[in-house]
Amino acid sequence: MGKTAELLPGTLDMLILKAVSLKPLHGYGVLLRIRQISRDALEIPQGSLYPALYRLEHHDLIASEWGQSENNRRAKYYTLTPAGRRRLRDETAGWNRLASAIAVALNTTSEEV
Amino acid sequence: MFKRFRSLFRVLTRRRNFEDGMSEELRFHIEQWTDDLVRSGMSPGKAARLIRMELGSVDNIKADCREAFGVHLFDELRRQLSYAARLLRKTPGFTATALLTLAVCFGANLTIFAVIDSVLLRPLPFPESDRLMTIFNTYPKAGVDRDGSSLTNYYERRGHIPAFASLSIYSYGTEIIGEPGSTEREQTMRVSPDFFSTVGLGPLIGRTFTEEETTSQTDHVAILSDTFWRQRYNADPNVIGRQIRVNSVPRTVVGVLPPAFRFLSSDARLFLRLASRPEDRGPSRRHSGGNVIQMIARLKPGSTLTQAQSQVDAQNAALEVDDPQAKMIAEAGFRSLVVSLHADHVAAIRPTLLLLQAGAIALLLIGGVNLVNLLLIRASGRVKELAVRQALGASRGYVVSEVVVETTLLTLVGGLLGLAIGAGGIHLLGVLGADRLPLGSRIVFDARLALVALVAAIIMGIVFAVPIAWFNLRRHLGNALQSESRGGTSGHGAQILRHSFIVSQIALAFILLAGSGLLGLSLQRVMAVSPGFQSDHVLTGQILLPWANYSEAARLTFVESLMDKIGHLPGVLSAGVVNNVPFSGNSGKSAATAMGHVLRPGESARGHYSYGVGGDYFRVMGFSLRAGRFLTADDSRRSERVCVVDEDFARHYWPNASAIGQRLWDGSEAGKDAEAFTVVGIVGGAKQTGLTEDEAQGAIYYPYVFRISDSFFVAVRTSLPPESLGLTLQRVVRQIDPDIPVNDLRSMETRIADSLVARRSPALLAGLFSGIALLLTATGTYGVLSYAVAQRRREIGLRMALGAQPGEIRRQFFYLSLRLLIGGTILGVIGAWLTSQSMQAVLFHVPALNLAILAGAAFVMGVVSLAACLLPSQRAARISPMEALAEE
Repeated sequence: MGKTAELLPGTLDMLILKAVSLKPLHGYGVLLRIRQISRDALEIPQGSLYPALYRLEHHDLIASEWGQSENNRRAKYYTLTPAGRRRLRDETAGWNRLASAIAVALNTTSEEV
Repeated sequence: MFKRFRSLFRVLTRRRNFEDGMSEELRFHIEQWTDDLVRSGMSPGKAARLIRMELGSVDNIKADCREAFGVHLFDELRRQLSYAARLLRKTPGFTATALLTLAVCFGANLTIFAVIDSVLLRPLPFPESDRLMTIFNTYPKAGVDRDGSSLTNYYERRGHIPAFASLSIYSYGTEIIGEPGSTEREQTMRVSPDFFSTVGLGPLIGRTFTEEETTSQTDHVAILSDTFWRQRYNADPNVIGRQIRVNSVPRTVVGVLPPAFRFLSSDARLFLRLASRPEDRGPSRRHSGGNVIQMIARLKPGSTLTQAQSQVDAQNAALEVDDPQAKMIAEAGFRSLVVSLHADHVAAIRPTLLLLQAGAIALLLIGGVNLVNLLLIRASGRVKELAVRQALGASRGYVVSEVVVETTLLTLVGGLLGLAIGAGGIHLLGVLGADRLPLGSRIVFDARLALVALVAAIIMGIVFAVPIAWFNLRRHLGNALQSESRGGTSGHGAQILRHSFIVSQIALAFILLAGSGLLGLSLQRVMAVSPGFQSDHVLTGQILLPWANYSEAARLTFVESLMDKIGHLPGVLSAGVVNNVPFSGNSGKSAATAMGHVLRPGESARGHYSYGVGGDYFRVMGFSLRAGRFLTADDSRRSERVCVVDEDFARHYWPNASAIGQRLWDGSEAGKDAEAFTVVGIVGGAKQTGLTEDEAQGAIYYPYVFRISDSFFVAVRTSLPPESLGLTLQRVVRQIDPDIPVNDLRSMETRIADSLVARRSPALLAGLFSGIALLLTATGTYGVLSYAVAQRRREIGLRMALGAQPGEIRRQFFYLSLRLLIGGTILGVIGAWLTSQSMQAVLFHVPALNLAILAGAAFVMGVVSLAACLLPSQRAARISPMEALAEE
């Protein structure tokens, strides 16, 4: 697991929002999806996933509904609410700004100073 | 924010669903994961181990989820509630004392507040009732504070006062309703056609009165109240147009009022037209109100009472210009006052109610202080436990919330018990005559009151928690762990707090005691006032003879035969009639003019109680004769113009000569010589409206034949208990005319007692409150001193081991409680003095600073609180040094 990176605080919510924005997912599906879209680079701390989902639902950023899983089991599916979609957009933009600013800062060479 | 509450609410209402869903979701997660791992070639056992390792404890995840959803706060609350309940159950003595204190204090407050709410706070049951005003004439310098309004006032003001949207008049009365042989007397109101539009609530079925129906020839219409309609007509929707006999005259029903219709405190079941003759509406009748007709008006939107008042004043001034009596009227201080209808109706009872509520609040303060002291003592006993818990990581917030939960639990349960006591209290008030208060029949115990109780209980719970939480969070907690003493040390601050609570409690109880003492003394002084006649063994009742069946001559015949029949009854000593008996509740004064009397400078014409008397009225009532003779039955037969005046009247008009033989006219102007009445007797003064009636205005008694009115009172002096004669009297009247009932049958003693109800009941309640206050103060002092003794056991034991005598120890605690008592009494005297200042309105001939009352209150207070300290200090003196020192 040498390739996996520790999640920065606050980024789990963002990743969950991203994951359920693509299609409705149950909790386990969210876990798999994040692994998949991060190309196995990010490892979710298992104990934090469900508290994060409940927190997001409590804040009305995602909504849940019981449905059938692929193997015909009852499972709770999460979808993005309009408020969640706005939040995802804002956070993505914010993240991109932050990441590029840090990248620029870190790539500064001595000539540029 | 709101959404979050909603989701929380959703979860709370379906808590089981939430928990089940969470479990199912996590189970699904684990199973899916296991499947995936097994599919990738892992053995099921290894997969399960891996998952347990990665996932950690499922219970922890669930707890985190609950917290994320905000559910944990409620779990916490529930835990704290059950902890508080357990603690309270463990100390049943404390809990019972606390709950009883709270229940009694809440109950007293709720009871009084129920009355205040119904009488003072709730608006009258009419749309925008705050715009309803009443207007009445007052002639203060003539001794007539309130004279109602005249027909002339009504016709002159109607439509001419721009600030009023509508203006109308009414009068109360009783009429005989029904077919011959089955008549009943009913309360009625006579109203002008615009009355219903003024109050803003009219008939539900049918119509109101019209302007044409205002003369005696056209007023044959009636409007029914809802209850009358239901009882008499079985709620017949086709009642409009049916005939109803009122005073033997058929009238047509034109309307039925809505169920909620109730004008002030009136029990009127039938509404009739206030008909009048055109000649009674002229300028000469402007000041003939006599407190019979009352005026109400509705302010226009945007207009104010002040505007209305100045417009009425301006119109009065303009009208008086060409009034021949203008000078006399002006000298009498005449004005027409505009007052809020609701405020005016409850004005007399308002100070008493506010005073009682203040008393109840004082009681609540005393009880609250008691409770806080008990809680503080309890908290001292738990200092160590709390210190341990705080050392183990209990946050300050947790410690505070624990206290709040406990005190609020106490106040809520106490509040619930208080509601029960309050419901009983309302019943007690009913027995004490609260329903006879203005708007008293509205007094109810309803959801609104329960809500007030709930809010008050929660607020009290939080307030009580403040000192306890402060105590629990103090620095000394850290030391408590090291302290070797069992209970931990109690800081000097906490001790001062407890002692100042006791002092304030003693002060409050002192104020209550002194206040109720003043009310009691005032009541005693009122009851010591002589009504001016002998009230024992006299039965009185009212008889109304309809004008339609009884001409003046028929009335005289009726009275003659009534006197004759009653005189022959066994046990009757004498009988008489009068058109208005003292303490009847009616009071109207009228003017008289003494022949040859010239108004002195600054003197205004006076209003006098004027009576028409027949039979042996004076002897029945036991008036004292000062000079001349009484009027007798013969005076009504002879129609000789004679009269009797009381000594106040005689002294006022003929201060230097005998009144006997002097002459006077009935009315405000001198008339023809032949119409003057000659004074033939002078009697002692009598009270008309109540024992507290202050100014002796003078009264005149004419023979009944000159003062024939539609209703009169019959008065009978008997050797039997007066009330036992009631049925006989009723039977005698029915023998003469089966249609005529006798109304308002009461002995004179009952009338006087009833007139005191607004003084006696508050005095009783205040006495009850101060009794409870004394009890609370005694238990409070006892509790705090017992605690002080228990706390200083070791110290006392040590001192005794070193040679201190039990007497010294006893004295020490005695002096402590004496200091508290003296401090409380000094504050109490100041408070009582301030309170009695504001009580002057409800006191009768009692000075603000009554030394006897203060000394008495101080004595009672001293005995009670010293008695309360006796037991603890005895206990202190009996401490055995060996045991006390061996305990630790």
